[in-house]
Amino acid sequence: MRDASRSAISIENVQHSYVLRGGKEIIALQNISLDIQAEEFHALLGPSGCGKSTLLYLIGGFIPLQEGSIRTRSGEVTGPGLERGIVFQNFALFPWMTVKQNILYGLRKANFPRKEAEDRAREFIQLVHLTGFEDAFPSQLSGGMQQRAAIARTLAVDPEILLMDEPFGALDAQTRRIMQEELRAIQQRTKKTVVFVTHDVQEAVLLADRITIMSPRPGRISHLIEVGLERQSVEDMLAQPEFTAKSEHIWRLVKDMAESAMRGPA
Amino acid sequence: MTAITEKQNTARNKPRTPWLNTVAGETAIQAGVFVVLLLAWEIATRSGVISPFMLPAPEDVVRRMADDLASGVALADLGRTLWRAVLGFVISAVIGIPLGILMGRFALIKWFFDPLISVGFPMPKIAFLPIFILWFDVFDTSKIIMVVISAIFPIVLAANAGTEQCDKWPVWSARSLGASKAETLWEIIFPLALPQIMTGLQIALPVALITTIVTEMMMGGPGLGGAMMTAGRFADTQGVFAGIVEITIMGLVLMKGFEALRRRLLRWQPQVRE
Repeated sequence: MRDASRSAISIENVQHSYVLRGGKEIIALQNISLDIQAEEFHALLGPSGCGKSTLLYLIGGFIPLQEGSIRTRSGEVTGPGLERGIVFQNFALFPWMTVKQNILYGLRKANFPRKEAEDRAREFIQLVHLTGFEDAFPSQLSGGMQQRAAIARTLAVDPEILLMDEPFGALDAQTRRIMQEELRAIQQRTKKTVVFVTHDVQEAVLLADRITIMSPRPGRISHLIEVGLERQSVEDMLAQPEFTAKSEHIWRLVKDMAESAMRGPA
Repeated sequence: MTAITEKQNTARNKPRTPWLNTVAGETAIQAGVFVVLLLAWEIATRSGVISPFMLPAPEDVVRRMADDLASGVALADLGRTLWRAVLGFVISAVIGIPLGILMGRFALIKWFFDPLISVGFPMPKIAFLPIFILWFDVFDTSKIIMVVISAIFPIVLAANAGTEQCDKWPVWSARSLGASKAETLWEIIFPLALPQIMTGLQIALPVALITTIVTEMMMGGPGLGGAMMTAGRFADTQGVFAGIVEITIMGLVLMKGFEALRRRLLRWQPQVRE
Protein backbone atom coordinates (compact mmCIF):
# COMPACT_ATOMS: atom_id res chain seq x y z
CA MET A 1 0.00 0.00 0.00
CA ARG A 2 1.24 3.44 -0.91
CA ASP A 3 1.51 6.19 1.62
CA ALA A 4 -1.90 7.88 1.51
CA SER A 5 -0.53 11.30 2.46
CA ARG A 6 1.60 11.28 -0.69
CA SER A 7 -1.41 10.65 -2.85
CA ALA A 8 -2.39 13.67 -4.98
CA ILE A 9 -5.30 12.04 -6.79
CA SER A 10 -7.09 8.92 -5.65
CA ILE A 11 -9.49 7.32 -8.05
CA GLU A 12 -11.77 4.64 -6.68
CA ASN A 13 -14.04 2.29 -8.63
CA VAL A 14 -14.83 4.77 -11.34
CA GLN A 15 -17.26 3.56 -13.99
CA HIS A 16 -18.45 5.62 -16.90
CA SER A 17 -20.78 4.92 -19.78
CA TYR A 18 -22.19 6.83 -22.72
CA VAL A 19 -25.64 6.37 -24.14
CA LEU A 20 -25.59 6.61 -27.90
CA ARG A 21 -28.44 7.94 -30.00
CA GLY A 22 -30.88 5.08 -30.16
CA GLY A 23 -30.31 4.06 -26.55
CA LYS A 24 -27.28 1.78 -26.95
CA GLU A 25 -25.01 2.02 -23.92
CA ILE A 26 -21.22 2.05 -24.34
CA ILE A 27 -19.11 1.40 -21.28
CA ALA A 28 -16.19 3.83 -21.56
CA LEU A 29 -14.54 3.06 -18.23
CA GLN A 30 -14.92 0.03 -16.01
CA ASN A 31 -13.66 -0.40 -12.50
CA ILE A 32 -10.91 2.17 -12.51
CA SER A 33 -8.97 2.50 -9.27
CA LEU A 34 -5.70 4.39 -9.29
CA ASP A 35 -3.57 6.41 -6.91
CA ILE A 36 -1.49 9.19 -8.42
CA GLN A 37 1.17 10.52 -6.09
CA ALA A 38 2.16 14.08 -5.42
CA GLU A 39 4.91 15.38 -7.74
CA GLU A 40 4.56 12.27 -9.86
CA PHE A 41 4.59 12.38 -13.66
CA HIS A 42 1.94 9.84 -14.50
CA ALA A 43 1.14 8.80 -18.07
CA LEU A 44 -2.16 7.28 -19.15
CA LEU A 45 -1.26 5.19 -22.19
CA GLY A 46 -3.46 3.20 -24.50
CA PRO A 47 -4.98 2.92 -27.97
CA SER A 48 -7.80 5.23 -28.98
CA GLY A 49 -11.09 4.25 -27.46
CA CYS A 50 -9.58 3.02 -24.18
CA GLY A 51 -11.15 5.89 -22.26
CA LYS A 52 -7.92 7.60 -21.22
CA SER A 53 -9.20 11.04 -22.21
CA THR A 54 -12.54 10.35 -20.53
CA LEU A 55 -10.68 9.47 -17.34
CA LEU A 56 -8.70 12.72 -17.59
CA TYR A 57 -11.89 14.76 -18.12
CA LEU A 58 -13.43 13.07 -15.09
CA ILE A 59 -10.39 14.02 -12.99
CA GLY A 60 -10.72 17.54 -14.38
CA GLY A 61 -14.38 17.60 -13.36
CA PHE A 62 -15.48 18.56 -16.86
CA ILE A 63 -17.89 15.65 -17.22
CA PRO A 64 -20.01 14.50 -14.28
CA LEU A 65 -18.90 11.42 -12.40
CA GLN A 66 -21.42 8.59 -12.66
CA GLU A 67 -20.02 5.99 -10.30
CA GLY A 68 -17.08 5.80 -7.92
CA SER A 69 -15.12 8.69 -6.51
CA ILE A 70 -12.16 10.89 -7.37
CA ARG A 71 -10.41 12.81 -4.60
CA THR A 72 -7.64 15.34 -4.62
CA ARG A 73 -6.11 17.06 -1.60
CA SER A 74 -8.76 19.72 -2.01
CA GLY A 75 -11.47 17.10 -1.55
CA GLU A 76 -13.98 15.28 -3.67
CA VAL A 77 -14.03 16.25 -7.35
CA THR A 78 -17.46 17.62 -8.23
CA GLY A 79 -16.52 20.05 -11.00
CA PRO A 80 -13.55 21.94 -12.41
CA GLY A 81 -11.22 23.29 -9.73
CA LEU A 82 -8.30 25.66 -9.58
CA GLU A 83 -6.02 22.97 -8.14
CA ARG A 84 -6.38 21.04 -11.39
CA GLY A 85 -5.12 22.87 -14.49
CA ILE A 86 -5.58 21.41 -17.95
CA VAL A 87 -3.85 21.59 -21.32
CA PHE A 88 -5.63 20.22 -24.38
CA GLN A 89 -4.33 18.77 -27.61
CA ASN A 90 -5.73 21.61 -29.71
CA PHE A 91 -4.38 24.26 -27.31
CA ALA A 92 -7.81 25.77 -26.52
CA LEU A 93 -6.42 29.29 -26.27
CA PHE A 94 -8.96 32.10 -26.39
CA PRO A 95 -8.45 33.19 -30.03
CA TRP A 96 -9.67 36.77 -29.52
CA MET A 97 -7.11 37.42 -26.79
CA THR A 98 -3.39 38.01 -27.20
CA VAL A 99 -0.91 35.66 -25.51
CA LYS A 100 -0.65 38.01 -22.56
CA GLN A 101 -4.41 38.47 -22.25
CA ASN A 102 -4.86 34.69 -22.32
CA ILE A 103 -2.49 34.33 -19.39
CA LEU A 104 -4.00 37.29 -17.54
CA TYR A 105 -7.48 35.75 -17.82
CA GLY A 106 -6.78 33.09 -15.21
CA LEU A 107 -4.80 35.49 -13.03
CA ARG A 108 -7.73 37.95 -12.95
CA LYS A 109 -10.09 35.12 -12.06
CA ALA A 110 -7.73 34.26 -9.21
CA ASN A 111 -7.95 37.91 -8.05
CA PHE A 112 -4.31 38.80 -8.50
CA PRO A 113 -3.81 42.57 -8.16
CA ARG A 114 -3.20 44.14 -11.56
CA LYS A 115 0.50 44.84 -11.11
CA GLU A 116 1.23 41.42 -9.70
CA ALA A 117 -0.77 39.73 -12.48
CA GLU A 118 1.22 41.63 -15.11
CA ASP A 119 4.52 40.59 -13.53
CA ARG A 120 3.42 37.01 -13.23
CA ALA A 121 2.22 36.89 -16.84
CA ARG A 122 5.61 38.20 -17.95
CA GLU A 123 7.37 35.61 -15.82
CA PHE A 124 5.45 32.70 -17.32
CA ILE A 125 5.76 34.04 -20.87
CA GLN A 126 9.50 33.98 -20.22
CA LEU A 127 9.32 30.47 -18.76
CA VAL A 128 7.84 29.12 -22.01
CA HIS A 129 10.17 31.26 -24.19
CA LEU A 130 7.49 33.45 -25.70
CA THR A 131 9.01 36.80 -24.76
CA GLY A 132 8.41 39.15 -27.69
CA PHE A 133 5.13 37.46 -28.61
CA GLU A 134 3.05 38.86 -25.71
CA ASP A 135 0.79 40.84 -28.01
CA ALA A 136 0.40 38.23 -30.74
CA PHE A 137 -2.95 36.56 -31.29
CA PRO A 138 -2.95 32.73 -31.22
CA SER A 139 -3.65 32.58 -34.96
CA GLN A 140 -0.36 34.40 -35.54
CA LEU A 141 1.66 31.71 -33.73
CA SER A 142 2.89 28.26 -34.75
CA GLY A 143 1.36 25.17 -33.13
CA GLY A 144 4.30 24.76 -30.78
CA MET A 145 4.12 28.39 -29.68
CA GLN A 146 0.38 28.13 -29.13
CA GLN A 147 0.87 25.09 -26.94
CA ARG A 148 3.57 26.93 -24.98
CA ALA A 149 1.14 29.78 -24.42
CA ALA A 150 -1.53 27.33 -23.27
CA ILE A 151 0.91 25.71 -20.84
CA ALA A 152 1.91 29.14 -19.51
CA ARG A 153 -1.74 30.10 -19.04
CA THR A 154 -2.36 26.94 -17.03
CA LEU A 155 0.85 27.12 -14.97
CA ALA A 156 0.45 30.82 -14.17
CA VAL A 157 -2.43 30.19 -11.77
CA ASP A 158 -0.23 27.62 -10.03
CA PRO A 159 -2.39 24.48 -10.01
CA GLU A 160 -1.18 21.62 -7.88
CA ILE A 161 -2.06 19.14 -10.62
CA LEU A 162 -1.42 19.52 -14.34
CA LEU A 163 -3.75 17.48 -16.57
CA MET A 164 -2.52 17.10 -20.13
CA ASP A 165 -4.62 15.59 -22.91
CA GLU A 166 -2.20 14.52 -25.67
CA PRO A 167 -0.75 18.02 -25.53
CA PHE A 168 1.89 17.43 -28.19
CA GLY A 169 -0.23 15.24 -30.47
CA ALA A 170 -0.89 18.03 -32.97
CA LEU A 171 2.75 19.11 -33.24
CA ASP A 172 5.39 18.07 -35.77
CA ALA A 173 8.09 15.62 -34.63
CA GLN A 174 10.87 18.18 -33.97
CA THR A 175 8.63 20.58 -32.10
CA ARG A 176 7.23 17.69 -30.07
CA ARG A 177 10.73 16.61 -29.00
CA ILE A 178 11.61 20.13 -27.88
CA MET A 179 8.32 20.50 -26.03
CA GLN A 180 8.83 17.16 -24.26
CA GLU A 181 12.19 18.32 -23.06
CA GLU A 182 10.82 21.67 -21.90
CA LEU A 183 7.89 20.04 -20.14
CA ARG A 184 10.26 17.78 -18.20
CA ALA A 185 12.34 20.75 -17.19
CA ILE A 186 9.26 22.68 -16.11
CA GLN A 187 7.92 19.74 -14.13
CA GLN A 188 11.22 19.22 -12.36
CA ARG A 189 11.38 22.88 -11.48
CA THR A 190 7.76 23.40 -10.44
CA LYS A 191 7.20 19.96 -8.84
CA LYS A 192 3.72 19.64 -10.29
CA THR A 193 1.80 16.41 -10.27
CA VAL A 194 1.25 15.66 -13.94
CA VAL A 195 -1.33 13.34 -15.48
CA PHE A 196 -0.40 12.99 -19.13
CA VAL A 197 -2.62 11.25 -21.66
CA THR A 198 -0.82 9.87 -24.72
CA HIS A 199 -0.92 7.02 -27.22
CA ASP A 200 2.80 7.38 -27.92
CA VAL A 201 4.80 4.71 -26.03
CA GLN A 202 8.15 6.49 -26.39
CA GLU A 203 6.69 9.73 -25.14
CA ALA A 204 5.25 7.98 -22.08
CA VAL A 205 8.55 6.24 -21.25
CA LEU A 206 10.52 9.42 -21.87
CA LEU A 207 8.43 11.59 -19.60
CA ALA A 208 6.66 9.51 -16.99
CA ASP A 209 7.62 8.12 -13.61
CA ARG A 210 4.79 5.63 -13.85
CA ILE A 211 2.62 4.52 -16.74
CA THR A 212 -0.93 3.23 -16.53
CA ILE A 213 -1.68 1.15 -19.59
CA MET A 214 -5.33 1.04 -20.46
CA SER A 215 -7.19 -1.40 -22.69
CA PRO A 216 -10.29 -0.62 -24.74
CA ARG A 217 -13.87 -1.93 -24.78
CA PRO A 218 -14.57 -1.47 -21.99
CA GLY A 219 -11.84 0.92 -20.86
CA ARG A 220 -9.87 -0.74 -18.08
CA ILE A 221 -6.48 -0.53 -16.45
CA SER A 222 -4.43 -3.42 -17.77
CA HIS A 223 -0.96 -2.64 -16.37
CA LEU A 224 0.67 -0.19 -14.01
CA ILE A 225 4.37 0.16 -14.77
CA GLU A 226 7.18 1.90 -12.88
CA VAL A 227 9.49 3.36 -15.48
CA GLY A 228 12.44 3.69 -13.09
CA LEU A 229 14.86 5.16 -15.61
CA GLU A 230 17.45 7.73 -14.67
CA ARG A 231 16.37 11.22 -15.73
CA GLN A 232 18.83 12.54 -18.30
CA SER A 233 18.68 14.68 -21.36
CA VAL A 234 16.29 13.34 -23.98
CA GLU A 235 19.17 12.40 -26.31
CA ASP A 236 20.96 10.42 -23.60
CA MET A 237 17.78 8.69 -22.55
CA LEU A 238 16.96 7.66 -26.10
CA ALA A 239 20.46 6.21 -26.44
CA GLN A 240 20.13 4.12 -23.28
CA PRO A 241 19.61 0.39 -23.87
CA GLU A 242 17.32 0.35 -20.80
CA PHE A 243 15.10 2.95 -22.47
CA THR A 244 14.79 0.88 -25.63
CA ALA A 245 14.10 -2.29 -23.64
CA LYS A 246 11.42 -0.57 -21.57
CA SER A 247 9.77 0.93 -24.63
CA GLU A 248 9.82 -2.44 -26.39
CA HIS A 249 8.32 -4.15 -23.38
CA ILE A 250 5.50 -1.60 -23.10
CA TRP A 251 4.96 -1.52 -26.83
CA ARG A 252 4.30 -5.29 -26.79
CA LEU A 253 1.69 -4.80 -24.08
CA VAL A 254 -0.02 -2.03 -26.02
CA LYS A 255 0.31 -3.61 -29.46
CA ASP A 256 -2.11 -6.48 -28.89
CA MET A 257 -4.74 -4.09 -27.62
CA ALA A 258 -4.19 -1.71 -30.50
CA GLU A 259 -4.59 -4.57 -32.94
CA SER A 260 -7.75 -5.85 -31.36
CA ALA A 261 -9.06 -2.28 -31.26
CA MET A 262 -8.43 -1.96 -34.99
CA ARG A 263 -10.35 -5.15 -35.66
CA GLY A 264 -13.36 -3.55 -34.06
CA PRO A 265 -15.63 -4.68 -31.25
CA ALA A 266 -15.56 -8.38 -30.42
CA MET B 1 8.51 33.02 -70.95
CA THR B 2 11.17 34.21 -68.52
CA ALA B 3 9.98 37.75 -68.83
CA ILE B 4 6.45 36.77 -67.93
CA THR B 5 7.54 34.78 -64.89
CA GLU B 6 9.65 37.64 -63.67
CA LYS B 7 6.83 40.06 -64.12
CA GLN B 8 4.52 37.79 -62.18
CA ASN B 9 7.08 37.48 -59.42
CA THR B 10 7.58 41.17 -58.99
CA ALA B 11 3.84 41.61 -59.11
CA ARG B 12 3.46 39.13 -56.28
CA ASN B 13 6.30 40.39 -54.15
CA LYS B 14 5.59 44.06 -54.44
CA PRO B 15 2.22 45.22 -53.21
CA ARG B 16 0.72 46.08 -56.58
CA THR B 17 -1.01 49.44 -56.50
CA PRO B 18 -0.99 49.61 -52.72
CA TRP B 19 -3.80 52.17 -52.55
CA LEU B 20 -6.11 49.53 -54.09
CA ASN B 21 -5.71 47.28 -51.10
CA THR B 22 -6.81 49.93 -48.65
CA VAL B 23 -10.37 50.52 -47.58
CA ALA B 24 -10.21 53.92 -49.25
CA GLY B 25 -9.10 52.34 -52.53
CA GLU B 26 -11.95 49.84 -52.47
CA THR B 27 -14.43 52.59 -51.76
CA ALA B 28 -13.03 54.62 -54.67
CA ILE B 29 -13.69 51.78 -57.10
CA GLN B 30 -17.17 51.21 -55.76
CA ALA B 31 -17.87 54.92 -56.07
CA GLY B 32 -16.66 54.76 -59.68
CA VAL B 33 -19.45 52.34 -60.55
CA PHE B 34 -21.99 54.84 -59.33
CA VAL B 35 -20.39 57.71 -61.20
CA VAL B 36 -20.85 55.73 -64.43
CA LEU B 37 -24.49 55.00 -63.56
CA LEU B 38 -25.13 58.64 -62.73
CA LEU B 39 -23.60 59.73 -66.04
CA ALA B 40 -25.91 57.37 -67.94
CA TRP B 41 -28.85 58.75 -65.97
CA GLU B 42 -27.86 62.34 -66.67
CA ILE B 43 -27.44 61.65 -70.40
CA ALA B 44 -30.77 59.82 -70.62
CA THR B 45 -32.68 62.70 -69.05
CA ARG B 46 -30.82 65.59 -70.70
CA SER B 47 -31.16 64.10 -74.19
CA GLY B 48 -34.92 64.08 -73.75
CA VAL B 49 -35.29 60.31 -74.17
CA ILE B 50 -37.10 60.19 -70.83
CA SER B 51 -39.39 62.96 -69.67
CA PRO B 52 -38.13 64.77 -66.54
CA PHE B 53 -41.58 64.24 -65.02
CA MET B 54 -41.02 60.46 -65.02
CA LEU B 55 -37.32 60.56 -64.25
CA PRO B 56 -35.85 63.84 -63.03
CA ALA B 57 -32.24 64.61 -63.94
CA PRO B 58 -29.67 63.76 -61.25
CA GLU B 59 -28.70 67.40 -61.10
CA ASP B 60 -32.29 68.36 -60.25
CA VAL B 61 -32.49 65.64 -57.62
CA VAL B 62 -29.28 66.88 -56.04
CA ARG B 63 -30.56 70.47 -56.09
CA ARG B 64 -33.78 69.31 -54.47
CA MET B 65 -31.81 67.45 -51.79
CA ALA B 66 -29.76 70.59 -51.15
CA ASP B 67 -32.93 72.68 -50.82
CA ASP B 68 -34.53 70.15 -48.44
CA LEU B 69 -31.34 69.97 -46.46
CA ALA B 70 -31.13 73.76 -46.21
CA SER B 71 -34.75 74.09 -45.10
CA GLY B 72 -34.23 71.37 -42.46
CA VAL B 73 -36.99 69.11 -43.86
CA ALA B 74 -34.55 66.43 -45.03
CA LEU B 75 -32.66 66.28 -41.76
CA ALA B 76 -35.83 65.97 -39.70
CA ASP B 77 -37.14 63.10 -41.88
CA LEU B 78 -33.73 61.45 -42.12
CA GLY B 79 -33.22 61.75 -38.38
CA ARG B 80 -36.60 60.24 -37.60
CA THR B 81 -36.06 57.30 -39.96
CA LEU B 82 -32.53 56.74 -38.69
CA TRP B 83 -33.69 56.84 -35.07
CA ARG B 84 -36.41 54.22 -35.69
CA ALA B 85 -34.14 51.91 -37.69
CA VAL B 86 -31.17 52.14 -35.32
CA LEU B 87 -33.22 51.86 -32.12
CA GLY B 88 -35.11 48.86 -33.53
CA PHE B 89 -31.83 47.30 -34.62
CA VAL B 90 -30.18 47.84 -31.23
CA ILE B 91 -33.19 46.38 -29.38
CA SER B 92 -33.09 43.35 -31.73
CA ALA B 93 -29.40 42.86 -30.96
CA VAL B 94 -29.80 43.31 -27.20
CA ILE B 95 -32.58 40.69 -27.08
CA GLY B 96 -31.50 38.51 -30.00
CA ILE B 97 -27.85 37.87 -29.11
CA PRO B 98 -28.44 36.62 -25.54
CA LEU B 99 -31.46 34.63 -26.69
CA GLY B 100 -29.49 32.91 -29.46
CA ILE B 101 -26.64 32.12 -27.06
CA LEU B 102 -28.97 30.74 -24.38
CA MET B 103 -30.77 28.64 -26.99
CA GLY B 104 -27.42 27.22 -28.00
CA ARG B 105 -26.50 26.31 -24.42
CA PHE B 106 -29.79 25.21 -22.83
CA ALA B 107 -31.92 22.56 -24.51
CA LEU B 108 -35.03 23.70 -22.66
CA ILE B 109 -34.81 27.23 -24.04
CA LYS B 110 -34.07 25.86 -27.49
CA TRP B 111 -37.14 23.59 -27.36
CA PHE B 112 -39.31 26.54 -26.37
CA PHE B 113 -38.13 29.03 -28.97
CA ASP B 114 -37.28 26.78 -31.91
CA PRO B 115 -40.89 26.32 -33.11
CA LEU B 116 -41.58 30.04 -32.69
CA ILE B 117 -38.60 30.85 -34.87
CA SER B 118 -39.43 28.22 -37.48
CA VAL B 119 -42.88 29.76 -37.87
CA GLY B 120 -41.89 33.40 -37.39
CA PHE B 121 -38.80 33.67 -39.59
CA PRO B 122 -40.42 33.02 -42.99
CA MET B 123 -43.63 34.86 -42.03
CA PRO B 124 -44.13 38.32 -43.61
CA LYS B 125 -44.02 40.32 -40.38
CA ILE B 126 -45.51 43.37 -42.06
CA ALA B 127 -48.86 41.54 -41.91
CA PHE B 128 -48.92 42.45 -38.23
CA LEU B 129 -48.89 46.16 -38.96
CA PRO B 130 -52.67 46.76 -38.73
CA ILE B 131 -52.71 44.98 -35.35
CA PHE B 132 -49.69 46.90 -34.09
CA ILE B 133 -51.37 50.16 -35.04
CA LEU B 134 -54.37 49.11 -32.97
CA TRP B 135 -52.29 47.83 -30.07
CA PHE B 136 -49.72 50.60 -29.94
CA ASP B 137 -49.87 53.79 -31.95
CA VAL B 138 -49.34 55.20 -35.43
CA PHE B 139 -46.11 56.88 -34.33
CA ASP B 140 -42.78 55.45 -33.24
CA THR B 141 -43.78 52.49 -31.04
CA SER B 142 -45.54 50.38 -33.66
CA LYS B 143 -42.83 51.07 -36.23
CA ILE B 144 -39.97 50.23 -33.88
CA ILE B 145 -41.68 47.03 -32.75
CA MET B 146 -42.15 46.13 -36.40
CA VAL B 147 -38.42 46.67 -36.96
CA VAL B 148 -37.55 44.52 -33.93
CA ILE B 149 -39.67 41.54 -34.93
CA SER B 150 -38.22 41.70 -38.45
CA ALA B 151 -34.55 42.20 -37.60
CA ILE B 152 -34.36 39.89 -34.60
CA PHE B 153 -34.62 36.60 -36.52
CA PRO B 154 -31.31 36.66 -38.40
CA ILE B 155 -29.61 37.79 -35.17
CA VAL B 156 -31.06 34.98 -33.03
CA LEU B 157 -30.29 32.37 -35.67
CA ALA B 158 -26.70 33.57 -36.12
CA ALA B 159 -26.02 33.75 -32.37
CA ASN B 160 -27.53 30.31 -31.92
CA ALA B 161 -25.51 28.76 -34.75
CA GLY B 162 -22.32 30.45 -33.55
CA THR B 163 -22.88 29.15 -30.03
CA GLU B 164 -23.60 25.60 -31.11
CA GLN B 165 -20.40 25.52 -33.15
CA CYS B 166 -18.23 26.57 -30.21
CA ASP B 167 -15.59 24.06 -29.20
CA LYS B 168 -15.90 22.85 -25.63
CA TRP B 169 -12.13 23.16 -25.03
CA PRO B 170 -11.93 26.95 -24.52
CA VAL B 171 -15.01 26.73 -22.29
CA TRP B 172 -13.46 23.95 -20.22
CA SER B 173 -10.19 25.87 -20.04
CA ALA B 174 -12.00 28.92 -18.68
CA ARG B 175 -13.86 26.73 -16.17
CA SER B 176 -10.61 25.24 -14.90
CA LEU B 177 -9.17 28.77 -14.62
CA GLY B 178 -11.96 29.68 -12.23
CA ALA B 179 -14.82 30.96 -14.43
CA SER B 180 -18.31 29.95 -13.37
CA LYS B 181 -20.69 28.41 -15.90
CA ALA B 182 -22.62 31.67 -16.15
CA GLU B 183 -19.42 33.68 -16.64
CA THR B 184 -18.35 31.52 -19.57
CA LEU B 185 -21.51 32.52 -21.47
CA TRP B 186 -20.45 36.16 -21.70
CA GLU B 187 -16.68 35.83 -21.38
CA ILE B 188 -16.02 32.83 -23.65
CA ILE B 189 -19.05 31.74 -25.68
CA PHE B 190 -20.02 35.26 -26.79
CA PRO B 191 -16.58 36.18 -28.22
CA LEU B 192 -16.24 32.70 -29.78
CA ALA B 193 -19.61 33.13 -31.50
CA LEU B 194 -18.94 36.79 -32.39
CA PRO B 195 -17.88 36.21 -36.03
CA GLN B 196 -21.24 34.57 -36.74
CA ILE B 197 -23.11 37.10 -34.61
CA MET B 198 -21.57 39.94 -36.63
CA THR B 199 -22.70 38.24 -39.85
CA GLY B 200 -26.21 38.00 -38.42
CA LEU B 201 -26.13 41.69 -37.47
CA GLN B 202 -24.94 42.61 -40.95
CA ILE B 203 -27.97 40.83 -42.40
CA ALA B 204 -30.30 42.41 -39.83
CA LEU B 205 -29.15 46.00 -40.40
CA PRO B 206 -30.60 46.42 -43.93
CA VAL B 207 -33.69 44.50 -42.79
CA ALA B 208 -34.16 47.12 -40.06
CA LEU B 209 -33.78 49.93 -42.58
CA ILE B 210 -36.17 48.37 -45.10
CA THR B 211 -38.78 47.66 -42.44
CA THR B 212 -38.58 51.24 -41.18
CA ILE B 213 -39.14 52.69 -44.64
CA VAL B 214 -41.97 50.28 -45.47
CA THR B 215 -43.84 50.97 -42.23
CA GLU B 216 -43.35 54.70 -42.72
CA MET B 217 -44.70 54.43 -46.25
CA MET B 218 -47.77 52.55 -45.05
CA MET B 219 -48.50 54.79 -42.08
CA GLY B 220 -47.31 58.18 -43.31
CA GLY B 221 -46.24 60.94 -40.95
CA PRO B 222 -42.70 62.17 -40.34
CA GLY B 223 -39.85 60.06 -41.72
CA LEU B 224 -38.36 59.46 -45.16
CA GLY B 225 -40.88 56.76 -46.13
CA GLY B 226 -43.85 59.00 -45.32
CA ALA B 227 -42.28 61.98 -47.07
CA MET B 228 -41.75 59.92 -50.22
CA MET B 229 -45.35 58.70 -50.24
CA THR B 230 -46.57 62.28 -49.85
CA ALA B 231 -44.28 63.42 -52.69
CA GLY B 232 -45.60 60.58 -54.85
CA ARG B 233 -49.22 61.57 -54.25
CA PHE B 234 -48.40 65.07 -55.47
CA ALA B 235 -46.61 63.64 -58.53
CA ASP B 236 -43.41 65.18 -57.13
CA THR B 237 -40.91 62.77 -58.71
CA GLN B 238 -37.97 64.93 -57.63
CA GLY B 239 -39.06 64.54 -54.04
CA VAL B 240 -39.38 60.75 -54.41
CA PHE B 241 -35.95 60.45 -55.97
CA ALA B 242 -34.42 62.72 -53.36
CA GLY B 243 -35.79 60.31 -50.74
CA ILE B 244 -34.44 57.27 -52.59
CA VAL B 245 -30.97 58.80 -52.80
CA GLU B 246 -31.05 59.83 -49.15
CA ILE B 247 -32.06 56.33 -48.01
CA THR B 248 -29.40 54.79 -50.21
CA ILE B 249 -26.69 57.03 -48.78
CA MET B 250 -27.90 56.35 -45.24
CA GLY B 251 -27.86 52.59 -45.83
CA LEU B 252 -24.42 52.74 -47.39
CA VAL B 253 -22.96 54.79 -44.53
CA LEU B 254 -24.51 52.45 -41.92
CA MET B 255 -23.23 49.31 -43.66
CA LYS B 256 -19.73 50.77 -44.13
CA GLY B 257 -19.63 51.83 -40.51
CA PHE B 258 -20.67 48.39 -39.46
CA GLU B 259 -18.07 46.75 -41.65
CA ALA B 260 -15.41 48.91 -39.97
CA LEU B 261 -16.74 47.84 -36.56
CA ARG B 262 -16.56 44.20 -37.63
CA ARG B 263 -12.93 44.57 -38.71
CA ARG B 264 -12.09 46.20 -35.42
CA LEU B 265 -13.86 43.61 -33.26
CA LEU B 266 -12.64 40.58 -35.21
CA ARG B 267 -9.06 41.66 -35.83
CA TRP B 268 -7.90 38.50 -34.06
CA GLN B 269 -9.15 36.47 -37.03
CA PRO B 270 -6.43 35.81 -39.61
CA GLN B 271 -8.80 36.45 -42.52
CA VAL B 272 -9.75 39.87 -41.10
CA ARG B 273 -6.13 40.90 -40.48
CA GLU B 274 -5.03 40.23 -44.06
